[in-house]
Amino acid sequence: MTQTDDLIQRLSRQAAIAPLRPAKLGVAMGLSVLVPVALFLLIFGTRPGLGEAWTNPVVPLKTLLPLTVFALSLALVLRLIRPEARVGAAGWGYGLPLAGAIALWIGAFAMRAPQARFADVNAFSLEECLGSILMLSVVPVLVMLRMLRIGATSTPLLTGALAGLCAASGVAAGYSLFCTRDNPLFFVTWYGVAILIVTAISALVGNRALRW
Amino acid sequence: MQLTEDPLATLLKAANAGDGPAYARFLHAVTPIIRGIARARARSLPPDQNEDIVQDVLLGIHLKRHTWDEAQPLRPWLYAITRYKVIDAYRKRGMAVHLPIEDYSDVLPAEAAADPLTDRDHRAEVDRLLDHLDPRSAEVVRAVALRDEPQAEVSARLDLSPVHLRVTLHRALKRMAALGRRDEP
Repeated sequence: MTQTDDLIQRLSRQAAIAPLRPAKLGVAMGLSVLVPVALFLLIFGTRPGLGEAWTNPVVPLKTLLPLTVFALSLALVLRLIRPEARVGAAGWGYGLPLAGAIALWIGAFAMRAPQARFADVNAFSLEECLGSILMLSVVPVLVMLRMLRIGATSTPLLTGALAGLCAASGVAAGYSLFCTRDNPLFFVTWYGVAILIVTAISALVGNRALRW
Repeated sequence: MQLTEDPLATLLKAANAGDGPAYARFLHAVTPIIRGIARARARSLPPDQNEDIVQDVLLGIHLKRHTWDEAQPLRPWLYAITRYKVIDAYRKRGMAVHLPIEDYSDVLPAEAAADPLTDRDHRAEVDRLLDHLDPRSAEVVRAVALRDEPQAEVSARLDLSPVHLRVTLHRALKRMAALGRRDEP
């Protein structure tokens, strides 16, 4: 017992630390997505005729669906920085964007002529789309995991995954303003794949980095 | 905010505001709670490791004391940290427990004695397995496991320390179990 008492004595002499401020962390996480995306759009510009393209109701969804996932994931990640927190029913919030994406994909598949379905898919467009989202996600994922280490999640794998989901979907929402491929078969699939890759990697990294 | 303030919450609130003595009182007050949880959850770990886990949990609380939201009740936070750290202790020990068996000899489960002999109570078969052991191990098994002699007597008769006796018995039974498995069709 005395050893434990010693430990308590030593711990109690250390200075107090500032309380956790989820709002502050949230702003930093948001900026970690916004800054790289804004730089990307400043350098490469948004797509030509963005405003006109948005008159097609499918095109805004390309931005709004990942934006919804980003907002929800950010809220969940900020909740999970406390050890007692659980995702709980809020996880159902993903149902809406997921259903939207699936409906878009099926709708586009049904309406397009067979040869037009995957016409956009070629090595260059894949590389541009997948590559950009993956590259742009590196910084936000690292920043988010760094921020989350300040907290004390009791679910490192899940929290890491949600951080990746948050980063990649935020990036995808920004990237969609540059991307000119409006075929849902293309963007739902490849944005989805890019987001899932980042989510998986972030989950694995988080599972190690977020332990305490 | 709760109607009746948890005294622990009051202490940690003061501690997080920089009150060192209040912090010491808080840690002293939560230690028996943690010890109880650790004992209940970590039953399969050797008892001498329970206090290590208690200290791990205290350290975890210390390092993450800023993650408690003062507007929320303290207990769920406290239990979440304790639970996480106890599971973490299992994970760590599960991955890296290569301690010599002598360290555990006095906590080895006694029911191990029944196990290797259960399906093999034919005397001849047991004798055959015993023949594979060195004479002293064989005598330990005969005396303790088959004749149910008190371990203290056996250790005195064979001039073995009680710890050594239990280690010898445990190893002999394991060896017999392995031999028995090898012989099975």
